[in-house]
Amino acid sequence: MNLSLFLPELTAVGVILIFLVREALRKNGSDVAQGSYSLPALCGTVLVFLALLCTAGTHGAAFGNTFILDPLAFFFKIFFTLSAFVILAMSGEFFRNRPEKSAEFFLILWCTLIGLFFLASANDLLLLFVALEVVTLSFYILTAYLKHDLLSIEASVKYLILGSLASAFTVYGISMLYVATGTTSLSGLNQAFAAGATGPLVLGGILFILSGLGFKVASVPFQLWTPDVYEGAPTPTVAFLAVGSKAAGFAILIRLIFSAFLPLEPHRVMLFSVLAAMTLCYGNLGALLQTNVKRLFGYSSIGHAGYLLIGLAAGKAEGITATLYYLIAFALSNLAAFFVISIVGESSGGHQLDHFKGLARRSPFLAGVFFISLLSLAGVPPLAGFFGKFLILLAAVRGSLGWLALLGLIFVAVSLYFYLSIVRAMYIDAPARTEKIPVALSVKLLLTALVAGIIVAGLWQAPFLHWAQVAASSL
Amino acid sequence: MILALPWIPFAGALMILGVPAHRETLLRAIALISTGLSFAITIALFMTFQAGKPGYQFYHSIEWLPSFGIQYQVGLDGINMTLCLLHALVSLAGVFMAIKPKDRLKDYLFFYLLLIAPIYGVFTSLNIFFLYVFYEMTLIPLYPMIGMWGSKNKEYGAMKLTIYITAGAVLSLFGIMLLYREMGSATFDFVRVQGILRQTPLAPDFQKVVAGLFLLGFGVIASLWPLHSWSPIGYAAAPTSVSMLHAGVLKKMGPYLMIRFAIALMPEGVKAWSGILAALAGIGVLYAGFAAIRQKDLKFMVGFSSVSHMGYILLGLAAMTQTSIAGAVMLMFSHGIMAACFFALIGFIYEQAHARGVKDFGGFGKSMPFIAICFVMTSLASLGLPGFSNFAAELLIFIGSWKSFPLIVGFGVFAILITAIYLLRAVQSVCYGPANPQWKDLKDAVTLTDKLPFLLLLGALFLFGFWPQGLLRLILPAVAGVLP
Repeated sequence: MNLSLFLPELTAVGVILIFLVREALRKNGSDVAQGSYSLPALCGTVLVFLALLCTAGTHGAAFGNTFILDPLAFFFKIFFTLSAFVILAMSGEFFRNRPEKSAEFFLILWCTLIGLFFLASANDLLLLFVALEVVTLSFYILTAYLKHDLLSIEASVKYLILGSLASAFTVYGISMLYVATGTTSLSGLNQAFAAGATGPLVLGGILFILSGLGFKVASVPFQLWTPDVYEGAPTPTVAFLAVGSKAAGFAILIRLIFSAFLPLEPHRVMLFSVLAAMTLCYGNLGALLQTNVKRLFGYSSIGHAGYLLIGLAAGKAEGITATLYYLIAFALSNLAAFFVISIVGESSGGHQLDHFKGLARRSPFLAGVFFISLLSLAGVPPLAGFFGKFLILLAAVRGSLGWLALLGLIFVAVSLYFYLSIVRAMYIDAPARTEKIPVALSVKLLLTALVAGIIVAGLWQAPFLHWAQVAASSL
Repeated sequence: MILALPWIPFAGALMILGVPAHRETLLRAIALISTGLSFAITIALFMTFQAGKPGYQFYHSIEWLPSFGIQYQVGLDGINMTLCLLHALVSLAGVFMAIKPKDRLKDYLFFYLLLIAPIYGVFTSLNIFFLYVFYEMTLIPLYPMIGMWGSKNKEYGAMKLTIYITAGAVLSLFGIMLLYREMGSATFDFVRVQGILRQTPLAPDFQKVVAGLFLLGFGVIASLWPLHSWSPIGYAAAPTSVSMLHAGVLKKMGPYLMIRFAIALMPEGVKAWSGILAALAGIGVLYAGFAAIRQKDLKFMVGFSSVSHMGYILLGLAAMTQTSIAGAVMLMFSHGIMAACFFALIGFIYEQAHARGVKDFGGFGKSMPFIAICFVMTSLASLGLPGFSNFAAELLIFIGSWKSFPLIVGFGVFAILITAIYLLRAVQSVCYGPANPQWKDLKDAVTLTDKLPFLLLLGALFLFGFWPQGLLRLILPAVAGVLP
């Protein structure tokens, strides 16, 4: 067995152990300054990133073929690590002036990251389920972290109930597939299906697993939790849900649909195009009337799931490449947006549109960053979001899904309405408060890097496209 | 040189971002220099342009995304050379209005440069992908500019304008994607696409669908009736230099892209729609003309007037003869300059008086002779009086469309009468009559910077009014190359 494949995960576990020991050794009652956790946590991600780079280009399996490292897994691990870096920085800012202790928050964020790593590499339904549960359980805690905030608790209860239901679906589906084929390994399933295993158990099992994953990516009809949880949970958690959890769902979906679930193939286009159309409509129409920015982002994140599902419906190489590119664009724009939401929310005491009024005067920098990320989310060129949408819709048109592409394009115009309503609050409306919002230099640097990423990924697409193509070709 | 055209204003915008907001002289200098530099380059290109030479001149191609057939391609033929010249003139005149003292000058100039840069991109690009990218990039600065510095119902106007134009843009993007798929040759290279489609035209049914998408999508920004309603409201709300650029130049991207995408690539498809297009254009000419008569606000009046004149341009395109399309391109140039001049005049008055009702003023001929003269001349140009390039352009459209649509041409000629009614009435109540004592403090344009934008624009109208051949020698061969 090749342990070097496992190096990034080992590093991450090491970081967690250091955190645990440090907390255990700390004398009871001694106060640690809030935010002092973010720096070591950030250093941890750098270590993990370096470890990841050591595994670049390697291709192999470990632990009896339950764990594989291929370009797709590598793509998502880099993706998760970079996202986690931003989320950790965001959490540091978030807890700076809050009464809650932040040590456990960082610890659990790290657990989530480990779960995401295993998800990206899972080549066995059992490992996949365990990793999925690690991620989901961590998110229950992260959602409920503001324990004096009723909204946060309400959000967590909703997430817990619906999430458990989704997990139950998944594990039930896995057991059905096991009964039908006698294996839980993805390669084993592939062989069994290639040999002709079929029947209601197989299709039923696949559908149950997909339902569980539909919950993760917030696809209709499993999207109901999204707006409530987005509204109530702490902002860094929401950002991680939107970027990490959604990407994880798509990572598994891509791997399962295109390398294991052969019996689904004849129905794939139909199933995913209908799901995509419904998800697009629900998310984009629902967002139109929202007055809470976080809730609006909940609906908009459902809408983006719709675009990503179009990529899955559109077809293999082209569709996967487009989906991966869209995820990059979505992550860059969403992370920048949530960073601003987090800072403004903390300094204004809420996330209503009213709290964003006059942001352009209170902090031109934050308003500018938010403006660009909103335009990118809406899909305005030359920003990353535009090219992501362009690739996905072009793939749909070439895959003879013209109607779906047209629907997606129309919702670009619709989504511009609600994104611009935030811009209006920031730039046009009279400010509700006038005091400036201070932004630390490190935050400025990070946000500038994100904005630069949004513009570069929109204009100079070649390297990102190449990366996505390599990842997509591994299936 | 041509490669630098869109990037000079972009660089200017970036520089402005780095200058502190209180150093207003430096900010103004950056805006003036970057606009002026682009203007100078355009003039140089215009001077060295070889009329009558077929194909694209100053052609450059840089590989961008080979797997999708995306290159950064630029090149000029007589049509986009004319439009580049229009944009250079209007953007330079506009920057003189933009640098006037205002709240948040830095942000305004930043967005202004961000607006003129992609327009150069649209008029120089020859790759379908980049044409679309630049086209939609013009939307980014519009919303905040109208929203922040606009007047009268600005939030509604800004939102309506942005959503309408985006909806049109995505429809045409759908057409582009369908075309890309149908061609099967995986290229966005406009020159190649045109060559291939000349050899093997697409099926007529497919042409009809995609040409319809293009005409509808670009029709929105060309304010094709009944999709025009964003335009008067948007212009009335926008600050002066934005109204100038939008009515003068941005709107012309609609007919320009119709010529490039619809007429050049799928002529059969356009023919299937030409009757409907001509009818809508004719209705637009009359409807907007009558609406302009009823307006009490000068900006609304000019806004409706521009919808009405765009109808002539669309009529010229629908007829699809060399004469009519050449006339349409000529009118795009002349109307662009004229509309920009009108909005500059209204803006000049509004900035001092904070009023712009048709009946609010009087006697400017005595109190503000320079502005009054410009007002009269612009109105006469808009009427299509001989001596202004608008006359030659409208004449060409009428001659070229007469065979296909005699009835609509008849209405079009009649509509000149309507134009006369509202414009002469406006001239009468603004420039003549008893002076309204309320405005005795208004200052005329006296300094050169005040006068320059008007001199620039009216000078161009005169120059090409007496020398229409100066433009037509470029436009006619290019139009011949576009038509099958």
